[in-house]
Amino acid sequence: MRIGVFVCQCGTNIAGTVDTEAVARRAMEYADVVYATSYVYTCSEPGQQEIQRRIKEMNLQGVVVAACSPRMHEPTFRRAVERAGLNRYMFEMANIREHVSWISTDKEANTRKAMELVHMAVAKLRFNQPLFSSKVPINKRVLIIGAGVAGIQAALDCSDGGLDVVLVEKNPSIGGKMAQLDKTFPTIDCSSCILGPKMVDISQKENVTLHACSEVESVSGYVGNFKVQIRKKATYVNWNACTGCGECVRKCPSRKAPDPFNEHLATARAINIPFPQAIPKKAAINRDYCLHFTKGKCGVCKKICPVNAIDYDMQDELVSEEVGAIIVATGFDLFDHSVYGEYGGGRYPDVISGLQYERILSASGPFGGHIRRPSNGREPRDIVFIACVGSRDASVGRPYCSGVCCMYIAKQAILTRDHLPDSNCYVFYMDIRSPGKNYDEFVRRAQEEYGVQYIRGRVGKIYPRGDRMVVQGADTLLGIQVEVEADLVVLATGVEASAGAGELAEKLRISYDQYGFYMESHPKLRPVETNTAGVFLAGACQGPKDIPASVAQGSAAAAKVQALFARDAIETDPQVALVNERTCVGCLKCIMVCPFGAIQSKTLRDGSIKAEVLASVCQGCGLCNATCPPKAIQLQHATDNQILAELNILCA
Amino acid sequence: MVIGWGTGYDPLHVTPVFLRGLEDVSRLIWNPLCVQNLTGYLVKGALTPPLEEGKKIGICVRGCDSRSLVALIQEKLLSRESLHIFGIPCRGTLDVRRLMNESGLSQIRSVTIQGDHLVVQNDEEAHRFPLERFLARRCLRCRHPNPVIYDELVYQPITPRTAPEDAYRDVEAMEARSLQERHLFWSSELDRCIRCYACRNACPLCICQDRCIAETREPRWLTQRVNLPEKFLYHFIHALHLAGRCTECGECERVCPMEIPVTLIKEKLNQITRDLLHYEAGLDPEALPPLLTYNPNEAGI
Repeated sequence: MRIGVFVCQCGTNIAGTVDTEAVARRAMEYADVVYATSYVYTCSEPGQQEIQRRIKEMNLQGVVVAACSPRMHEPTFRRAVERAGLNRYMFEMANIREHVSWISTDKEANTRKAMELVHMAVAKLRFNQPLFSSKVPINKRVLIIGAGVAGIQAALDCSDGGLDVVLVEKNPSIGGKMAQLDKTFPTIDCSSCILGPKMVDISQKENVTLHACSEVESVSGYVGNFKVQIRKKATYVNWNACTGCGECVRKCPSRKAPDPFNEHLATARAINIPFPQAIPKKAAINRDYCLHFTKGKCGVCKKICPVNAIDYDMQDELVSEEVGAIIVATGFDLFDHSVYGEYGGGRYPDVISGLQYERILSASGPFGGHIRRPSNGREPRDIVFIACVGSRDASVGRPYCSGVCCMYIAKQAILTRDHLPDSNCYVFYMDIRSPGKNYDEFVRRAQEEYGVQYIRGRVGKIYPRGDRMVVQGADTLLGIQVEVEADLVVLATGVEASAGAGELAEKLRISYDQYGFYMESHPKLRPVETNTAGVFLAGACQGPKDIPASVAQGSAAAAKVQALFARDAIETDPQVALVNERTCVGCLKCIMVCPFGAIQSKTLRDGSIKAEVLASVCQGCGLCNATCPPKAIQLQHATDNQILAELNILCA
Repeated sequence: MVIGWGTGYDPLHVTPVFLRGLEDVSRLIWNPLCVQNLTGYLVKGALTPPLEEGKKIGICVRGCDSRSLVALIQEKLLSRESLHIFGIPCRGTLDVRRLMNESGLSQIRSVTIQGDHLVVQNDEEAHRFPLERFLARRCLRCRHPNPVIYDELVYQPITPRTAPEDAYRDVEAMEARSLQERHLFWSSELDRCIRCYACRNACPLCICQDRCIAETREPRWLTQRVNLPEKFLYHFIHALHLAGRCTECGECERVCPMEIPVTLIKEKLNQITRDLLHYEAGLDPEALPPLLTYNPNEAGI
């Protein structure tokens, strides 16, 4: 092989602490190297042209560039060598910037390390083979998991772009957390008034298939060709017939069923429609509270339903859908404040979560929009808001900022002062995080126009005195202890990953962080993609977000899907596992360890069993290669021989 | 066909026998000299003809051998339905090589077991050897003398001689030595290796056979050079291929012509598997060996 080596100076980024000339001179001594040079900016247009000129002039068969991280410019240089007629995989990159020049100022040691890295790259390149990608057609349907505002936005944008959308929602109605909110900051729009039209749009789009009360059971396949099993949970009401008239709900004698939509401030009937604007507006039976299921009698709903929609024998149903891309928009859950013993551990009815207060404020909520104390139904006079409950607190495993609480307490305090002009509102806060457009102005209005008293400090304890609550805390600006007697305490409960996020991540083969939020492919430059091709993220499942950010990410994910579907076929990455059938012993341990279901067995004509890699499913993780005892399965472009060649140089 | 043990070239040396009809049954024997783990024959082609439709293959197994069967069934290299397993609770087998070396016997006429002694008759006289003194190392640390899987149990189950907490005392003794001593020990032991691959060939779970990475040039993990690093690499590849799978039947050590304690390396890996992953190989045909799964929530790591 005739190899050319190009050592980049990256201005002074590399040349400042690495003798790039010496690295190039030494490279000329390595086996198969016929040309080596040092260049000021290899990634620049003239730099790339220099590589191409030398490939032709020197008849090079492979190129090594020693420069920055391959995450930066490997695609650039692969295209460059391809333009000069080489296969793009006859190229290797040695990272002498992030791995060398940026981490040490010892020029002599740096130069030595750079030489070794270049030598390893050359040694590997000598075993490189031209690789070619194949094309697979794309199924231009998209699955969206979660129909909160992010999922709804993504679904509408995809639908407007002419794509078939499959929308899966766990709850009986779409709308997510936003549907539970009363007003939204910083404009005090009515939440359901701005979300409602979008929800109605979903139900009216012909190319959107909505599966409510459904969950994703399993996912197989790969980008462009996913197969998804969806479990439609039994609602015991035939939704094709149900008109949502609500007659059954009014007549149902079982009134003690939990009402998660109202955050358990009220109870619901055993057959219920969660809220008036629900989409789909269909009844569902909670079988744990239905007298027909618990006692074997009743049947009132079945008798009075005008369209005979009640079906007590209904079973869960599995639906298969085939899609080409998946948008995950599973949202968040609220931090459970009962872990804070000092705040009553969830025992005091008048110490409530932020979302419970939203329901109290909401006209469709349990108190019809009148602010009352859950304990005795009386109007509160003194209301305390406590920020950072389950946020920025490493002791409860939530060291991150939930991002929305500062704003929602400001909004709730403003609304409280609007509803009850004689009330006193106090906010205990750590810092105020209000970096959005018009956000800080909004918080200032709460303080200056609405007279909400902001006290900087942590609350140490909440305890009852008579029928009121005493809030003890510190005012760290004045350096004094403060005590406020309150009728109602609203905890600004933080955001955490939704329950079951990890389980879904495993089905989708995407990663999640230590708190359960899904990992984006790059925190800055690929915030919507996951590391699994064809799976995108939208909304708070990726991290705490407010409504504008969730909507933006929903649209962004939809745009990514549209871009993916703009082509009719996708090129597969050839850096995948490949079985050498002559050495495969058919033990099939590779199938057992493959996280992607990318390997299957096949029987040859002589009856022998061999493993076979589905190139378009394989993600190139290499677990199979590590497991294969005779090493018959090799990762293309990272073969054992290539790695051993590098090791031999390093250990020589 | 039934695979069992029969008398070999002299009564002290037992050899595997393959019974093809009723007339062969008289060749079967069972005594503490039946040292071979026969299960390898079920997966290592050549010696076992392919099964006829609907027919089973019979095999005699001791406790340790039965664990090899479990491992092979777990890995779908054998199907339970194709086997008829004769399980034999085993009080331990002898280290025949040590017996020969220490006694210097030859011209053996007959061998009998009298109580807890082995009586060997040669041309001159009868020699008595206490069984306990000549048990193989693998049998001295045996925790599973009773077959864990069988269709017929030939004798009454017996009590294991080793408690689970003592299972790795040989490894612990080795680890009590200094790093330098251990390095010296393994260097001198493994330097004797002649790369005959007997250890690999005797192992029922080493199923690559002539595709073994130790002998191929592609990929180039090993060369055929006879030097200590190559020998080390070979033995550690062998051990790592068995990590979480090895049932400690001790065949590799028994067949080593250079008397290298190679099972000890695998014992160390099994100790790690037990402590880290709470798994013991070859006990439950339904269990999945932890290193043959993908579980992102793997506990212990």
